[in-house]
Amino acid sequence: MKIKLCGLKRPSDIAYANMLMPEYVGFVFAKESKRYVEPQRAEILRRQLNREIMSVGVFVNERMDTIVDLVNRQIIGLVQLHGDEDEDYIHRLRKQIKCTIIQAFRIESKDSIDAANKSVADYVLLDSGKGSGETFDWALIKEIKRPYFLAGGLTSENIHRAIEKLHPFAVDASSGLETNGIKDKQKMTDFVNAVRQRRKDDGGMTEKNGRFGMYGGQYIPETLMHAVIELEEAYKHYKNDMDFQSELAELFHAYANRPSGLYYAKAMTKALGGAKIYLKREDLNHTGSHKINNVLGQALLAKKMGKTRLIAETGAGQHGVATATAAALMNMECVVFMGEEDMKRQALNVYRMHLLGADVVPVKTGTATLKDAVSEALREWTSRIEDTHYCMGSVMGPHPFPMIVRDFQSIISKEIKEQMLAEENRLPDVVIACVGGGSNAMGSFYHFIEDKEVQLIGCEAAGRGVDTFETAATISTGKVGIFHGMKSYFCQDTYGQIAPVYSISAGLDYPGIGPEHAYLHDTKRAVYVPVTDEEAVKAFEFLSKTEGIIPAIESAHAIAHAIKIAPTMDKDKIIVITISGRGDKDCAAIARYRGEEIYE
Amino acid sequence: MSNISTAFSKGKAFIPFITCGDPDIETTEKLVRTAVENGADLIELGIPFSDPTAEGPVILQANLRALSGGITTDKIFALVRKLREDIQIPFVFMTYANVVFSYGADAFFKACQSVGVDGIILPDLPYEEKEEFLPYCKKYGVELISFIAPTSRQRIAKIAKEAEGFLYIVSSLGVTGTRQEITTDLEGIIKVVRENTDIPCAIGFGISTPKQAEKLAKISDGIIVGSAIMKLIEKHGKTSEKIVGEYIKSMKEAVL
Repeated sequence: MKIKLCGLKRPSDIAYANMLMPEYVGFVFAKESKRYVEPQRAEILRRQLNREIMSVGVFVNERMDTIVDLVNRQIIGLVQLHGDEDEDYIHRLRKQIKCTIIQAFRIESKDSIDAANKSVADYVLLDSGKGSGETFDWALIKEIKRPYFLAGGLTSENIHRAIEKLHPFAVDASSGLETNGIKDKQKMTDFVNAVRQRRKDDGGMTEKNGRFGMYGGQYIPETLMHAVIELEEAYKHYKNDMDFQSELAELFHAYANRPSGLYYAKAMTKALGGAKIYLKREDLNHTGSHKINNVLGQALLAKKMGKTRLIAETGAGQHGVATATAAALMNMECVVFMGEEDMKRQALNVYRMHLLGADVVPVKTGTATLKDAVSEALREWTSRIEDTHYCMGSVMGPHPFPMIVRDFQSIISKEIKEQMLAEENRLPDVVIACVGGGSNAMGSFYHFIEDKEVQLIGCEAAGRGVDTFETAATISTGKVGIFHGMKSYFCQDTYGQIAPVYSISAGLDYPGIGPEHAYLHDTKRAVYVPVTDEEAVKAFEFLSKTEGIIPAIESAHAIAHAIKIAPTMDKDKIIVITISGRGDKDCAAIARYRGEEIYE
Repeated sequence: MSNISTAFSKGKAFIPFITCGDPDIETTEKLVRTAVENGADLIELGIPFSDPTAEGPVILQANLRALSGGITTDKIFALVRKLREDIQIPFVFMTYANVVFSYGADAFFKACQSVGVDGIILPDLPYEEKEEFLPYCKKYGVELISFIAPTSRQRIAKIAKEAEGFLYIVSSLGVTGTRQEITTDLEGIIKVVRENTDIPCAIGFGISTPKQAEKLAKISDGIIVGSAIMKLIEKHGKTSEKIVGEYIKSMKEAVL
């Protein structure tokens, strides 16, 4: 849950905010307000404000060029509309600026909730009135169908009840933080601490010092420490840099073809005869998988850091292809480490990487698969750091990678949520994704973690079965350990030697799982189920025949689980399956599995 | 005075590294005795790990050979117990965090104390994560060796201040393995270390020739050699005792 402290106008207010570090602060640009700040003054305040805090401009029926000017001068990073701005106004504003728009609604009746549900803004803010300091009838909120900012008379006293009953996306306070009309340091501190305490009680998903509960960390050679610290600092800076974010948003949209569709799989739903099934079509992204989301983010970040060379590991080749693509686009050198075994299984992707100008280094050690490719990429990074960024492909490795990759992939659940609310006016009951390291699953889960009613299911590759040695199901068969820079679950023997794992899917053929998944598993916020090769291949064929969509064999693991549970669910329930990638690359391997040799 | 510091009390130290169980545990035992007879001041005993991410190809393959030969952590504890019957020089384990973690940190360091291991080197346990094992190391009197790398820069002081045993100075970027030349400003690094601690500095990574050893010994308190020795063992296997002994002798003479 995020915190917004609104109506800051004095340098001391900014100093308090810098100490308390809320996610947002608000500057009020409505002249009739007693909290009005002039743009020039706001500019000075913004400069004093910690870069990690986002500033929101609050407007009432403002001239559009005033808003655009404030955004362009980076005085504000989000726009909050409090007047009679209509859909047309918001559409026109969107054409001129790329930032997030929040529309405020004064909640007086069910009608105002309906209006908020229909708003075209990115978020809505539910308020009792214009800074009146009173709460409204919270019972009305149960009808809200989208993430919202809760405002109106919030104080450190009533905030516990608000969070407990309502689970808002963010809480917004202003007059409740004041004494005699000016911001009160003690009240601000109490409010922020009260929210944080509450957030902690809820299991607080935000990472602290690179840890998710006991998992994560930075178990890497001293030689690499400087590089990961530098990376974390750069990421923290650019995460809130508006130019960076708008550049990335543009790449997502214009280059990677985002947003990806949320497709109602009517035929599949009918065939299974139970819950309604939607497919999140990450397979339709440029390069054919979700990997591009993370890679564009990391490549852009690396470029800003002055790096000229990207290295990456790859299993199925999807992350390698995505990295080679971003490197080609951004004119960077690219070296991909790939297990020799995987190079055989995914020859087409090897060719694609070569075509894109990347070097593909065969890794022959160990099982010659993804695990060994990660080890080799880490070794390479140790020997060449200055000009090189290791573009980690999943929510794994040392901090800050699990956080960075998760953040870039979280666009998946952000979109699912928006699309589902637009389509069904509600959240899904179940979200299913496949898990190797777990990046598409983490991206699919992230924005639903605080929506406790949404069930999150990760599908692990069981290979020939969890009761055999030929499996890659980490949660089902592994135990806690330390490897590849992180503490998490790993498949290993009694002496901690990492086990050789197996799956038909080169992308899930990894003996570990990202640390945030380990934490979601332990806290029971998500469940992880094993899916065998046979089940996945059947699902691969099923989706191809029923919907005309050939999924990646990785994604087929998620489909297989949906095939199991959908028929047991009522027809008014909704399942979202993330189709993490397209299956062209797998056709030859599946044909072989079915006893047929094909030649391209 | 800790047992480790005695290794540095008679002039510059020579520290050979041996992967336990390559090609078998009997050969390891012979090699350790040979190393002691030929002047080794402290011995780094490698407990093999399946995926040693800080190692170059030579030690990586030594690890894999040892594991496929059936070596285990418990067999290595038994070996050390046996060697300790007549060998006094300090022993330091070198392995990866998961080997210790999976054994159980308390049980692992308790066993170290019981068989007579004086210190531990874990290349995947940087300063930021040392609390994972440090309390157990202290409990059982096993010194946790810290690394300083060419990239450590402003981290050198804080690492040095809390270091114990000796400081492992990584000669150059990259993983273990022999190098033609070492160009890092090691004197500069060691100068910062000296401003912050009195414990000895030993340089490792990439050193294979007596000439390199002689040069680097001048600016440090000791030299660590691993890959060059493991290469000899890779080539000569069970009969590598004599040639490894001669090599260690030549290196020890070079550092003196």
